[in-house]
Amino acid sequence: MIRIEGVTKRFGRAAALDHVSLELQAGDSVALWGANGAGKTTLIRCVLGLLRYEGRIEVGGHDATRHGKAARLLVGYVPQELGFQDDLRVAEAVAFFARLRGITRPDVRGSLAAVGLDPHRGKRVRELSGGMKQRLALAIALLGDPPVLVLDEVTASLDAVGRDEFVALLKQLSGGGRTVLFASHRLEEVSILAGRVAVLDHGRLVRTVSRDEFLAEQRPRLFRSLGREAAGTAEAGCTAPGGPPSFTARSCREASL
Amino acid sequence: MRHRAHSFLLVVAAAAPAALGQGVEHTPPPTPAIAAATEVGPLGRRLAAARSGDVIEVGPGIYRERLRIGKPVTLVARPGAVLDGGGTTDIVEITAPGVTLRGFTIRNTGINLDRENAGIRVLAPRATIEDNVLEDILFGIDLREAPDSIVRRNTIGGKALDIARRGDGLRLWRSDRTVVEGNVIHNGRDAIVWYSKGVVVRGNVARQSRYGLHLMFSDGVTITDNEFTGNSVGIYLMYSTGVRIEGNRLLRNRGPSGYGIGLKETDQYSVRDNLIAGNRAGVYIDGSPFTDRMPGEFTGNTIACNDAGMIFLPSARGNELTGNNFIDNIDQVTVAGRGSLEANRFWKGDRGNYWSDYTGYDRNGDGIGDFVHESQTLFENLMEREPSLRLFLFSPAQQAVEFVGRALPAVRPEPKFTDEVPLMRPVPITAGGAGTGHATGRLAAGGAGLLALAGIVLAFGRSGVPREGVTS
Amino acid sequence: MSALAANVSALCRPRPAGRNILTLAHRELREATRSKRFILYSVAFAALGLAVSLVSASVGGGSGLAGFGRTTAGLINIVLLVVPLMALSAGAGAIASDRERGMLAYLLAQPVSRLEVLLGKYLGQAGALAASIALGLGSCAVILAWKGAATSPSSVAWLAGLSLALALGMLSLGMLVSVLSRKVSVAVGIAVFLWLALVFISDLGLMAGAVALRLRIEELFALSLLNPLQVFKMWSLHAAEATLDVLGPAGLYATEEYGQRLHLIFGACMLAWIVVPLAAAGAVFSRRSPT
Repeated sequence: MIRIEGVTKRFGRAAALDHVSLELQAGDSVALWGANGAGKTTLIRCVLGLLRYEGRIEVGGHDATRHGKAARLLVGYVPQELGFQDDLRVAEAVAFFARLRGITRPDVRGSLAAVGLDPHRGKRVRELSGGMKQRLALAIALLGDPPVLVLDEVTASLDAVGRDEFVALLKQLSGGGRTVLFASHRLEEVSILAGRVAVLDHGRLVRTVSRDEFLAEQRPRLFRSLGREAAGTAEAGCTAPGGPPSFTARSCREASL
Repeated sequence: MRHRAHSFLLVVAAAAPAALGQGVEHTPPPTPAIAAATEVGPLGRRLAAARSGDVIEVGPGIYRERLRIGKPVTLVARPGAVLDGGGTTDIVEITAPGVTLRGFTIRNTGINLDRENAGIRVLAPRATIEDNVLEDILFGIDLREAPDSIVRRNTIGGKALDIARRGDGLRLWRSDRTVVEGNVIHNGRDAIVWYSKGVVVRGNVARQSRYGLHLMFSDGVTITDNEFTGNSVGIYLMYSTGVRIEGNRLLRNRGPSGYGIGLKETDQYSVRDNLIAGNRAGVYIDGSPFTDRMPGEFTGNTIACNDAGMIFLPSARGNELTGNNFIDNIDQVTVAGRGSLEANRFWKGDRGNYWSDYTGYDRNGDGIGDFVHESQTLFENLMEREPSLRLFLFSPAQQAVEFVGRALPAVRPEPKFTDEVPLMRPVPITAGGAGTGHATGRLAAGGAGLLALAGIVLAFGRSGVPREGVTS
Repeated sequence: MSALAANVSALCRPRPAGRNILTLAHRELREATRSKRFILYSVAFAALGLAVSLVSASVGGGSGLAGFGRTTAGLINIVLLVVPLMALSAGAGAIASDRERGMLAYLLAQPVSRLEVLLGKYLGQAGALAASIALGLGSCAVILAWKGAATSPSSVAWLAGLSLALALGMLSLGMLVSVLSRKVSVAVGIAVFLWLALVFISDLGLMAGAVALRLRIEELFALSLLNPLQVFKMWSLHAAEATLDVLGPAGLYATEEYGQRLHLIFGACMLAWIVVPLAAAGAVFSRRSPT
């Protein structure tokens, strides 16, 4: 469904991507893993045809640059943060993007209900909280039921609770045979969403491994990061008695199983 | 236009032989071209039978004949009496004094400028030409040595030729004391008065001609209450003395050298209470007054919205302007070339003029501005030195230049003239309104249409995104 | 799985460019007409136009002289001042503001082409400008008619149409600035400078040139055709009066030399100002990264 062949992207002298090749079959879910600046976002932008690159990218058989429109029609995209200062109302925004996807009679309320935003459909987009904006972006990405989802560090700007809720939502909505390519540097996301993990380092694709292999490798680090997370949530008062059970804790259990 | 006239001639020539000899509906014989109308037709025969002083009434019908009136008779046409020249010749020629010609429609002269084909030619004194309609004529009414005549309430329409091929709608040649009154002249070349003293031109209208009225070497002429609209030039006086121009309306005369009133080497004139608006130049003064016997007098005129209100050639001296309105002319008063206006006066005693660009005020309320009016905008000054800069008129750059001129005294030009007692209010305009000429209803409708358009665009911009789920 | 596979083939046909452009234009129009800038410029334009109309309608105090008043010239002057600024800044903000707030990348990640986005924005902004112009000149026409001024309806219609043409040209130029700028503030700054250059600097320079270099009138006329504002002014006058004689020797030269072909000449110049910057903007926009 997504074929990336020898993609190189240079910003000036520095190569942000260096001969990256990766193939996703239909139904694959691949996490792009790597530190900040490893090239995850750059690769996603190339797939979306937002950047010019050397090499070749195809989505569903369409060249991402030359037939970008056709390629992007197969792709639902959720960015790191919805850069939407618009005074469009939530429902209007959904309708607008539905039109761009050629959906003449969009089920706006259905789309919003799926991400739990239906009660907020009359609000203006700029009035939404960060988490709600991401859910709106997800609703928009799922318009027209595209076979590919591309997610770019979609939880990066959310707090811990919002993050866990959003990942759960993603898990619920991204299934059903969809091909998913997502950038992340959070193990719990990888553990929930990914089938395979592509590890990027300084623009190079170091290797591709299965999720379980990857998690096994990363387990020591996972525990370290879990410690940090637990401290963070404790500070934020999230583990106070009567509070909601932490998704983080659950994901750790899943990971350690 | 030319082609049409030619082909018309051809048609007439071709049709002529077939139609030969048919009484009143007589068509001209085939040759020669100048004698296309029959020399003597039914009217000619009636004339031949008439005695001096007879009144001959002419019934309706189309008379295709050249009419020579050699006896002092009165010809009165009943409605529908048409003299048709067949497009090849003169039509009426008056050779006896004291003839009256009234009420005819006279049409379709030849177009031979050398022969000066005319609708009515008068070669004798004391003719009265009135209430005739002349259509499609080369020359209209041509008075040659016909003093003491009256030309009254005629309508004279020229041929649709380009201006170089047209004739004069009205021409007076050595016809002293003739009265020209209440005529309408349009699409001619000039209405022109040559060597005629004491002529009165009153209440006429001239439109779409070259010169609305042109005086050559004609003294003591009175020009009052006429309207000259849309000609190349309204009134042009040359080499004439003792002319009164009063209460005329000179509007939109915009030929390549289009003036409302032009004065060339004219003497002892007075220009009063005229409305002079929308012309290329309102008044153009070249070498006038010619002598210093009397100042050129301009009083009570409204000179408005012309490209230039008044243009003085450097030779012009001795004009006095009092109590005139200068309103919104692009240049109010200008000197062609690098002359000065010193020898002309823009105020006298306690009476100046109204200047719409006067910036002073009147604290004591006596109707006279407290400060001297000095004409000195920098852009005007630049335009006078470099006429091609007019190209930048109406652009913000023009205002920038004028602003600089006001702000920086160092670059402020010398005043062209001063009016020490400028009027605060315009003097009343007596020459009648300028007329609107356009239906304001259509303008309002157009404006409403534009507003509706804006409304539609805005409404479209604010709706259209499906609001399902928002309102439900 | 099979449902999704069917979906792939169903989704293979992207939406026609025209419909995408209209959808995008609609959103742009909506945003533009709700912006404070639009309201400010529209009000300023209408107010200045109305002031000019009232002054020129009152020439000669109801003596009927109003018909001769230079209403058209006054309105031309206002259009020259306001419309280019309005259109340049609208164009300058159009792309740069979306870029600045990250909206542009998100929009381009949708199944739309860059040209569609550019043209959609152009069309939407053009609609807003058209509304603004129609609002201003329409209210002027109504006031003039109410005051009984004899401005001809056709000259107002010409003025409105040509103002829109001028606005489109300036919008193209503004869009070019916008695709070249990373920040709105930079884009708007450049746009204001361009406005100054077109409104004042080039004319003043040409004036100085005409005096200092003793340019011949045909040279002066040809050079003035380079400035879209001059083209607009001459075209409006030509349409209203059928002659440019009011503009002195250079205007007479143009009228005598070209006559009615002036419509073609002015039209070609204006079209070039609309098409060339927009095409350049398209070329730059399709190459540049949207962030």
